[in-house]
Amino acid sequence: MAVAVPVVLGIVFLTFMLIRIGHQDPVAMLAGPLADASTYAMIRKELDLDRPLLQQFITYVAHLAHGDLGRSWQGGAPVLPDIITHFPVTLELVVLAVGLAALVGIPVGIRAAMHPNGRFDQVTRFGALTAFSIPTYWMGLMAILVFFYFLRWAPPPMGRVSLEVVPPPVLTGSVLIDSLISGNWAAARSAAAQLVLPVGCFTLLAMAPIIKQTRAIAIEVFGSDYMRFARASGFSRKTLRRMALRNSLPPVLTFLGTELTSLLAAASLIEYIFSWGGLGQWGLNAILQGDFAVVQGYVLTLALSAVVVFLVVDLAVLVLEPRGHRRS
Amino acid sequence: MSALALPLGITRRSPTFAVGASIVLLLLLAAVFADVISPYNPTQAFPYEVLRAPGGKFLLGTDGNGMDVLSRVIHGTRYAFGIAVPAGLIMVLIGVPLGVIAGYKGGVIDEVLLRVLDVLRAFPSIILALAVVAATGSSLVNVVLVIGFLDSPIFARVVRAEVLALRESTFVRAAVAVGNPPWRVMLVHIFPNAILGATAQLPIRMAWAVRISATLAFIGVGVQAPAPEWGAMIRQGAEYVISGEWWVATFPGLALIGLVLGFNLLGDGLTDLLDPRRKATGK
Repeated sequence: MAVAVPVVLGIVFLTFMLIRIGHQDPVAMLAGPLADASTYAMIRKELDLDRPLLQQFITYVAHLAHGDLGRSWQGGAPVLPDIITHFPVTLELVVLAVGLAALVGIPVGIRAAMHPNGRFDQVTRFGALTAFSIPTYWMGLMAILVFFYFLRWAPPPMGRVSLEVVPPPVLTGSVLIDSLISGNWAAARSAAAQLVLPVGCFTLLAMAPIIKQTRAIAIEVFGSDYMRFARASGFSRKTLRRMALRNSLPPVLTFLGTELTSLLAAASLIEYIFSWGGLGQWGLNAILQGDFAVVQGYVLTLALSAVVVFLVVDLAVLVLEPRGHRRS
Repeated sequence: MSALALPLGITRRSPTFAVGASIVLLLLLAAVFADVISPYNPTQAFPYEVLRAPGGKFLLGTDGNGMDVLSRVIHGTRYAFGIAVPAGLIMVLIGVPLGVIAGYKGGVIDEVLLRVLDVLRAFPSIILALAVVAATGSSLVNVVLVIGFLDSPIFARVVRAEVLALRESTFVRAAVAVGNPPWRVMLVHIFPNAILGATAQLPIRMAWAVRISATLAFIGVGVQAPAPEWGAMIRQGAEYVISGEWWVATFPGLALIGLVLGFNLLGDGLTDLLDPRRKATGK
């Protein structure tokens, strides 16, 4: 827990500096071309830009502590409510894809580790490396090309639910879950169909590093004394695989936790391609428009959720780790 | 015959390295001779040949401005190497000394480095690069600097881990024991041995640099169209995907994958070659 404090402070400082290193002038942006000097001064004061850097930082942290993330430079909407509405939208995508990727990737990695440099291992290794080299957005575009344009299997890549169905009321923020809860089957079917392509692309991308890392970890586990003893004792391959899985899981989980940050970033590109309208697309748009109040909130949300995930994973590993009782 | 002996030996020991090196070398040649081998000028627009399908006069078709896709893909290698090489240089120049000092000296420098790494680990590098480039301005120089700086702590970490192991080794202790000053131990005894790990890491980080710079251009910060940069070309092609003019986005993407894969294979193979003990685990 104590480790997280300096990290959070560092994160807050970095995001704070983002708009101050830039060449973008928020004052000009907010005031518009017709404003006079006194308006400029007023806005400068309102944004707290007229004081020394250190004081600005202290005020910024104080505002953050009260949940005040400032207002958008374009339109002036407060940033925090926007984050809250956009977050579950992205979460739906990330949870589904990462869950699927882990469910497939971990067993594949362990299977590959049973015979290093065997045929199965070489095929998966090359496959994972290839998937690893494919840019997220390009894979999304190709999926649209093949499954929407050529095969006509997928719905148009525009948003989370077809415009032709009545959307469900917003309860959890996930259209799929919301429509299931409210019994809106047409919307549920449409939402599921919209999910297939982005989740599919995302799963493939997330799976590659999971396979690679699980394999490396499982090879170490298979080489350990207790596994060699188990093998010598004549346990079946199935039992051996289960034991390897059980012992590989904690480090794999730790890896997944650290990986989630870059997956959240990849999610923004997937959202961008499929007009998903979640946190990622919202953040990318802000970057493009130079709306750095929103960019700040976006980057801060990503980094803070990463810290939360690190902590949760650490706790989960403590529970899962067979030797954890001794260590803690 | 003897000229072929070395490449053949390496190919036998690490086919991964051989494949990766061939891909990278091929694309590097394309970058050097781009003007000679491309059929057209990459930014010359043919107003009457807009969005031509591949084949005939334009082997890979033309884009929405009527520019030849093949020539643009070939010239894209210049942007890719032009960003990856200097960014890689920055990473090494900052990361390696930092890692050696932090690993050997420990203390405050090491502590600060580890904290900075913790903070950076929480940020997705693509988003951070996007935000910083957007904040400081979309010039090519900024893209190179941002990618180089963001990745140098990663280098420092790799080198630091090697140094920590080397510090306890017999030959370093012997060097200290005979009275070498710390700078000499670091420079003469640790640095040449720690650099191996960094060497294997370099192509993998350069693959990252190529990827991130293309992503930046795809989002619209960084290199701007009509410059023949792969990410920018995919951005141009994205709007034609739904209407079926697939070639505009597809070919620059394939080139991008090729180079990134090449660098990654090169790095993986280099790890195998440099450290025979790691071959069994294939890390």
